[in-house]
Amino acid sequence: MSDDRLDPYDSGSLSAPLPGAAEAAAAEGATSPAVGRDEWVARHGANLAGRGGIVGTIQARLASVPWWAWLAVLVAIVALIPVGFESGYVRRVAFDTLIYMLLALGLNVVVGWGGLLDLGYIAFYGIGAYAYAMLSSSHFDVHLPSLVSIPLIVALGAVVGLLIGLPSWRLSGDYLAIVTLFFFQLFITITTNGDDVFGIDLTGGSNGISGVAASVDPLSFFGWELPQLTDAGAFNVAYIYVALVVFVIVFVALRFVNLSRTGRAWRSLREDPLAAEMMGMPINWLKLMAFSFGAAVAALTGTIFASLNAGVFPNTFQFPLLITVYAMVILGGAGSMGGVVLGAIIVNVLLEVLREPGDARYVFYVVVLAGLVAVLRFSVRLVVVLGGTILLGFAVHVITSVVSDRAVAGSPAGGGFLTGAVDRWVVLPDSLGAWAPISYVALVAAVLLLTTISGWWRIAALVPTLYLGAFVWENVMLAKPEPTRYILLGAILVTLMVARPAGILGERRVEIV
Amino acid sequence: MSTLSVLFDASHVLASQRWDEFLQQTINGLTLGSVYALIALGYSMVYGVLKLLNFAHGDVYMVGAFIGFGMIQWLGFRGAGDTWAPVVSTWFVLLVVLAVSMAGTAGLGVAIERFAYRPLRDAPRIAPLISALGVSFFIAYSMQLMFGSQQRDYNAFGIDNGKLFLDGVDIGNVRVPLLRIIIIVSAFVLMLLLWLLVTRTRTGKAMRATSFDREAAAMMGIDIDRVIVFTFVLGSALAGPAGVMFALRAPASVTMGFVAGLKGFTAAVIGGIGSIPGAMGGGLILGMAEAYTQGYISSKWSDLFVFVILIGFMLFRPQGLFGKADIRKV
Amino acid sequence: MRRRWLAVTALVAIVVAALASTAGAGSSATASSQALSCKSTMKVAFLTPLTGDAGFLGNEQLSWAKYAVKTLQKQYGLKIQLLAGDTQLSADLASSLAQKYIADPKVVGVLGPSTSGAVQATSQALFRAGLAHVSPSATRTALTKGNEKQATPAFFRVVPDDDIQGPADALYMVDKLKVKKVVVVDSQEPYSVGLANSIERTLKAKGITTQRESVNVNTSDFSPIVTKVPGDADIVFFGTQQPPKAQTFAQQLLEQGKKAKLFSGDGANDPDKFKVPGSYVSNFAAPINLFPYNKNIIAGWQKDNPNATLGSFGPPTYGSVQVLFNAIKRACDAGNGTIKNRRDVIKQVKKISVKNWILGGSFRFSTKTNDPLNGRFYIFQIQSNGSYKLVDPTIGS
Repeated sequence: MSDDRLDPYDSGSLSAPLPGAAEAAAAEGATSPAVGRDEWVARHGANLAGRGGIVGTIQARLASVPWWAWLAVLVAIVALIPVGFESGYVRRVAFDTLIYMLLALGLNVVVGWGGLLDLGYIAFYGIGAYAYAMLSSSHFDVHLPSLVSIPLIVALGAVVGLLIGLPSWRLSGDYLAIVTLFFFQLFITITTNGDDVFGIDLTGGSNGISGVAASVDPLSFFGWELPQLTDAGAFNVAYIYVALVVFVIVFVALRFVNLSRTGRAWRSLREDPLAAEMMGMPINWLKLMAFSFGAAVAALTGTIFASLNAGVFPNTFQFPLLITVYAMVILGGAGSMGGVVLGAIIVNVLLEVLREPGDARYVFYVVVLAGLVAVLRFSVRLVVVLGGTILLGFAVHVITSVVSDRAVAGSPAGGGFLTGAVDRWVVLPDSLGAWAPISYVALVAAVLLLTTISGWWRIAALVPTLYLGAFVWENVMLAKPEPTRYILLGAILVTLMVARPAGILGERRVEIV
Repeated sequence: MSTLSVLFDASHVLASQRWDEFLQQTINGLTLGSVYALIALGYSMVYGVLKLLNFAHGDVYMVGAFIGFGMIQWLGFRGAGDTWAPVVSTWFVLLVVLAVSMAGTAGLGVAIERFAYRPLRDAPRIAPLISALGVSFFIAYSMQLMFGSQQRDYNAFGIDNGKLFLDGVDIGNVRVPLLRIIIIVSAFVLMLLLWLLVTRTRTGKAMRATSFDREAAAMMGIDIDRVIVFTFVLGSALAGPAGVMFALRAPASVTMGFVAGLKGFTAAVIGGIGSIPGAMGGGLILGMAEAYTQGYISSKWSDLFVFVILIGFMLFRPQGLFGKADIRKV
Repeated sequence: MRRRWLAVTALVAIVVAALASTAGAGSSATASSQALSCKSTMKVAFLTPLTGDAGFLGNEQLSWAKYAVKTLQKQYGLKIQLLAGDTQLSADLASSLAQKYIADPKVVGVLGPSTSGAVQATSQALFRAGLAHVSPSATRTALTKGNEKQATPAFFRVVPDDDIQGPADALYMVDKLKVKKVVVVDSQEPYSVGLANSIERTLKAKGITTQRESVNVNTSDFSPIVTKVPGDADIVFFGTQQPPKAQTFAQQLLEQGKKAKLFSGDGANDPDKFKVPGSYVSNFAAPINLFPYNKNIIAGWQKDNPNATLGSFGPPTYGSVQVLFNAIKRACDAGNGTIKNRRDVIKQVKKISVKNWILGGSFRFSTKTNDPLNGRFYIFQIQSNGSYKLVDPTIGS
């Protein structure tokens, strides 16, 4: 695997295929895990048998690019965004994405490397943010300079992570998830009600700590303050660069930790905790350290976040945010740093794009097409499905417009050049009424049913399902982009787990029982 | 009257007031707890058989409440001052609503198991948990997409001019309304049926065997898939009536699943996850704890107390009150 | 190997889609200085919570906003497109969205933000960018009053603030209902906490015994709190934003045989959902269907929203749109058919006046603050047939 190449433990000779291996591997064929077969041996054939031809060469070349080159490219792209885009919105989205990338990196340490399901991760993020709001504001009249408060808060995060990780000493997987979940609920309760703790206003309650009265400081380094807004009210670009620098530092630091003994110990802990314990590894300490690192990264992210927003509100640190970060980590591939960064970018950009019905439409059709191509490849079946769906669409549209004028009286939401085509292809009633839930449930049922049948039946069923999908998307989901976003996140989590638990760049894990 | 007798009368009144308040809070706790117990049972059973924390269970409960609401609308009770005159039909209607929501949620539970958990049966433990989180999100927001975020009120108070709320049995000075009796009794009946099912029938025995050791049970000829589906059917079928019972007294909304799931979950853990009497006991205990902390300590911080109690349990007695300590066989 | 390929393809696809979408949004930071012709399609953005705990509020407001934009633009001779942004009750999301609308040169005004927290987070940015923001529901007093105003001069609201409702209700309880003991309940979110604090303060100043309780915002079974209500308490004040919860609370008071009646704020004002006889509701307006000139508006809205009921959050949104459009039209007229700078709209907002205001009477802004002139609260008592009867139009500061 390409990750092996990055592990200095592996010397170069082991990663290059032995002569004649390709033929042998081809003869052996790709193998899959089965009872009684050694895993490494089983995967070896697949490992060596890469893909031939141009695609294979490109892949091999890409795989040989060192990690810091990828990082440099990413940094260059992000650094050039403010130059290329003057819109305060695009810059703000870039900043938010950087925040998510940081959060995903931190969660990756706990879930991907430590293998611990931490359902309280966002609480650490919140603790970092609230701590900054308390230490650098007029709330308690403590105005620590950023260079003092930020490291302090990182240390605080690490300590709290250690404390919260303590239950993991005695508890395994599920119980740990429960304890962290309850810790999260505790955090939410305290922050929401903390405006009257024995008469002291601790956390500002449901209003949070913000505004003129609290006057949370912006970031300031060596006396040089970074205002959050420009004079025109737009987002101050400096914060992107601060976040970028922090991201690079955290990424590099975690890279080195991963390559160290601790990183390898974490990997073995994740693969088989029992064996690791028997080998004498201090697994409890390892778990605590995973928690601690993750918490520290989250707390650091919280400080930048609080300073930019000039305040903290309890509503930010709630369950939907946790699910979002999890979706990023899972999509990108838990355990792979590059993967979770990629996952963060994809998910956040996707969520932003989905706000506008016109843009969301592009994404929907592009993704559906890409999915079809990925599953069916360029084959007769693909042509049949696409052709069939388009024809069916026009047929249904024509029939319904003849039958009832109202059934096609509506118009597609949003703008963009696809609306013309969509208007003629999809049936768009002017008001759906009770058909909305019915068609949605029918779509979900149809998609689930598709997974149970196979062969030409599946192709045949795919055509009406695709059209129904377009119908539901245009009429029901685009009308309300907000719940649609979260529905998609949930669907991503489930489908990934079922179809491809390793995500995009993660490693396939097989649990040895 | 002499001052002494006045004082005596005052303290007697106060004492009986306090007693009344205590009794009332206990009844509040039992009502809340019955619902929690039904939800907790679903969690416990699924965990016992699959070792999976089914985070989506709370949302199944929410769907049950909405099914009940839909039924009541469909049967013509619009809640705008309508009353159904003969008492007989009220009982019948309630029964039908409970049954339909039971069937609905059982179906939903089976579908979730089939598509989100079964493919992950042999995957690392973390996978079905994450899948469960995804399913929970998916269901909650799908409901919002379809039905909006407004609260749904059954308006059970409108039935027979509030008969269900105002008539009831008197214990001392405290009146226990009819509806609460119905809820507590039905919950107990359902739990009793479940207990009988699990301890006295063959399928129940198969369930217990599977939760003890899945591979050995498979080798003994038990159809594991069947047993698991059966477990989900039972667990989800209980969540439906729980939702209806809750919504009869308080409005239902698409966000109620998360919080209720958390509470039911807490109850299952307190009682000992994987243990059926534990879930029942845990539910009742949690309901009473909530009522008492809100009533006597502080309504603002009652959640905090409950969570602290729970974390304490997890640290010092993770197997809960009735569970057994987890011994892993290597 | 294949993974990297997939990864690169995925990344490219997403970036392309994103760039395609941002191509429209990205523009110069001097968006505020671009002149706009009033004959072109301009945009108005709406910042409101559409999902999450307050989703019911945002969605109701959005339905009225859509209707208002649709019908009013003809009346004012404008072409306006409505953009809706979901703040999810989260202030940082509101800031992100604000950036989005600031960057769009066609946006000339903002509706909302609906929640006071979002106003606080975005007012600075919107003010600097020259965008007027008119809110139908952000009622935190400190936004426009006091020594340290939390909002900017570009913020306006069309409903009176919390510090008018609280004392109004409390004084009614003291003067007309002659209460001796009141239980005040909040639901741990800014609206009810602010209102409860305000009422408790006024009552205590008048020497009334008060008991304060608090429930989680998600709770809808209030039995333990109801049990705590003393048998001799006269009123329970519960400032919730969800009428079904007020209904449930009042029913549970009856269920447990308490003498106290429920008193709720404008958030619970909904004759269809909250109708337990004997309860009190305060609202910043009389029910809009009492005014004959609203008949067509209500009918039109109901045609667009067949299953929805008239709530209390929607009509002020209609009013906000009216105020904003009025200001835009005035700015257009002052600029001879163009809006040279969207800051011009801010200057016009305070000058507007609306006859046949949807909430009753006519509307002007107060000269001192960006609040309605003579904002007052009306108190209703629910009759035995469920209808709301106005019992106090005179007390209100």
